[in-house]
Amino acid sequence: MSTERSLEIRGISKRYGETVAVQDLSFDVHAGELFGFVGRNGAGKTTTMRIVLGVLAPDAGEVRWDGRPLDLAARRRIGYMPEERGLYPKMRLAEQLAYLGELHGMAGSEARVSALRWLDRFGLKDRANDDLQALSLGNQQRVQLAAALVFGPDILVLDEPFAGLDPVAVDVMADVLRERADVGVPVIFSSHELELVERVCDRVGIIDRGRMVACGTVDELRAGGQERRWIDVPGAPDDWEAGVPGVRLVQADGTRRLFELDPGVDDQALLQAALNTGPVREFERVEPTLGEIFRTVIEEEAA
Amino acid sequence: MNARFLNLGGTRRLPAIVLVARREVRMRLRSRVFVGGTIVMTVLVVVGIVAASLLAGRTTPVRVGFSGGSQALERSFTASAAALGENVTVSDIADVDAGRAQVTAGTLDVLVIGSATAPTAVAKDAIPSNVESALSLAAEAARLSDAGLSPAAVTSAMTLVPVQLLQPPNPKDNENLFASLALGILLWIALGQYGNMVAQGVVEEKATRIMEILLATIPPSRLLAGKVIGIGLVGLLQLTIVGAAALVAVHVTNVAAIPALGVASILGDIFWFLLGFLFYATAYAAVASLVSRQEEVQGAVAPISIFQIAGYLLMYAALPNPSGPLATVCSLLPPFAPILMAVRMADSDVPFWQVGLAVALIVASIVGLTWLAGRIYANAAMRLGARVRFMEAFRG
Repeated sequence: MSTERSLEIRGISKRYGETVAVQDLSFDVHAGELFGFVGRNGAGKTTTMRIVLGVLAPDAGEVRWDGRPLDLAARRRIGYMPEERGLYPKMRLAEQLAYLGELHGMAGSEARVSALRWLDRFGLKDRANDDLQALSLGNQQRVQLAAALVFGPDILVLDEPFAGLDPVAVDVMADVLRERADVGVPVIFSSHELELVERVCDRVGIIDRGRMVACGTVDELRAGGQERRWIDVPGAPDDWEAGVPGVRLVQADGTRRLFELDPGVDDQALLQAALNTGPVREFERVEPTLGEIFRTVIEEEAA
Repeated sequence: MNARFLNLGGTRRLPAIVLVARREVRMRLRSRVFVGGTIVMTVLVVVGIVAASLLAGRTTPVRVGFSGGSQALERSFTASAAALGENVTVSDIADVDAGRAQVTAGTLDVLVIGSATAPTAVAKDAIPSNVESALSLAAEAARLSDAGLSPAAVTSAMTLVPVQLLQPPNPKDNENLFASLALGILLWIALGQYGNMVAQGVVEEKATRIMEILLATIPPSRLLAGKVIGIGLVGLLQLTIVGAAALVAVHVTNVAAIPALGVASILGDIFWFLLGFLFYATAYAAVASLVSRQEEVQGAVAPISIFQIAGYLLMYAALPNPSGPLATVCSLLPPFAPILMAVRMADSDVPFWQVGLAVALIVASIVGLTWLAGRIYANAAMRLGARVRFMEAFRG
């Protein structure tokens, strides 16, 4: 499989009446890449995913795969986990997965083998002949992911795949997604758990009110953000940093203070000012978490 | 179901429409509703046929008691009653009061009192006209021989007027009417049951949210067609089982003289089930796709159920005169044809052009409805939550 292949979302827009769900949204997900899609509720994540799947038609823009517009045949090769979980409650697990495998173009025997293999992978092999409704919600969610994987998809689109999973299941799910990406499948998933996205994803897209406001690796997103420093100067007066230009107090914790530095400001000037007032007990560079980046980006957008 | 059918396509890739239909067949055949429903329907039909055959073989004779001088009439009364085609038994009643008490109690139908030449008939609330005529004839004969006529002259004087019927009624007419009605009711139940099954199935896929996964894989038209075909096959299988049981029961009980229970009539019923099912199932599927919850299904399908109920009522209105204008016109209209035409065909000979016209009209309607239902379904299937308005779904 060529690693050149990529899923390209090109300028898609979708309105519901007066509400703009997605506005001129573009991004790429390359083969072998885990792409995390984050945003507030109603930001347009689900709408974007539905458009990629073809269950929703965009008002403008297109989705391309491997250099060509994504047609019905290619869409049948996408593994999809919708935000609204859905399977037949009164159908046996193995039978249900095999049915979905066949709908996605597998032969009957091939689909049955694959169904059992995925049930085994998620530790549900001995429940293969149980109805879905007999399972706990967490287990139903595993079956839902198995439904997206059963036919060996070329692309994976997962809406909140980690919601409602216990920590062990989260690890299994993350391993499976990484494994799929490693064999050359582009994986897009949305999540509210930013720590998890930061840990698992190769690249992250932040969407706000239907627009992509930041997109790149976590390091790239950090580079665009502001530098922060914790300083502890126990003997200093309250406004000791007043003379240092481009520095803003963010948070105070006893005598410890967190400062944000404007772009291009030398942190050594801040340290020098601190040393001038007394002994410095602590001076620490703080990497912003994805959560902090996210809040900053969203606030900037709102301003 | 045999294993080969269930494993159809073990190593082949099957078209989505076949996969969807096969899933419906598998799931429904396994359900208690199907197994139980088939058993109940089969038992009811067989019991009905056996009961009908027992009833048809039995006509209760009219019990007539004679007291006093009227007892001399017993022989000539029995002969006259037989000539009029009435089955009677006669007995002697010694005590008139006891006889009246028996009539009141219902153990005796008619008590004859008085003399042979001037008898009086005592009955509870009505007297069969043939019994009254036979009694009058017997009394008349008694008066004539009293007046001195020879027995031979009396017999010749009392000869009944011969009657020639140009269209003699079928003695099984009533049985046939009931059998036709029973077929119509069965057909009506099956159409309602399987139409509703399609409606429930469509909403189930919306309510459980699997619709989104399915529609990411196959176009809505194929999902709809596969569902209708699959459920239709299950209905066909059930009616075939019940129909076969009915034919066996008819054969064993020897009520085969009833044309409505013949092979042609039962095959006709199955044929009209197929047409009626396609007509109603597509309509049910379209309106059901407008709602997202099982509780809303009944309300959504109500406008279509009204046509089905009207068809049921029309069956009773039209059946007494199956060739009359009401029956003829209504049995041509697509919403009513499946039941009314099936019942008319079972009950009487329907002109070929009427059957042909009814089939042509309903087939044309099915084609139109399929287009309309496909459009409504495709536009409404993905809209979860609030009920989608019909015109909104139509425009898309």
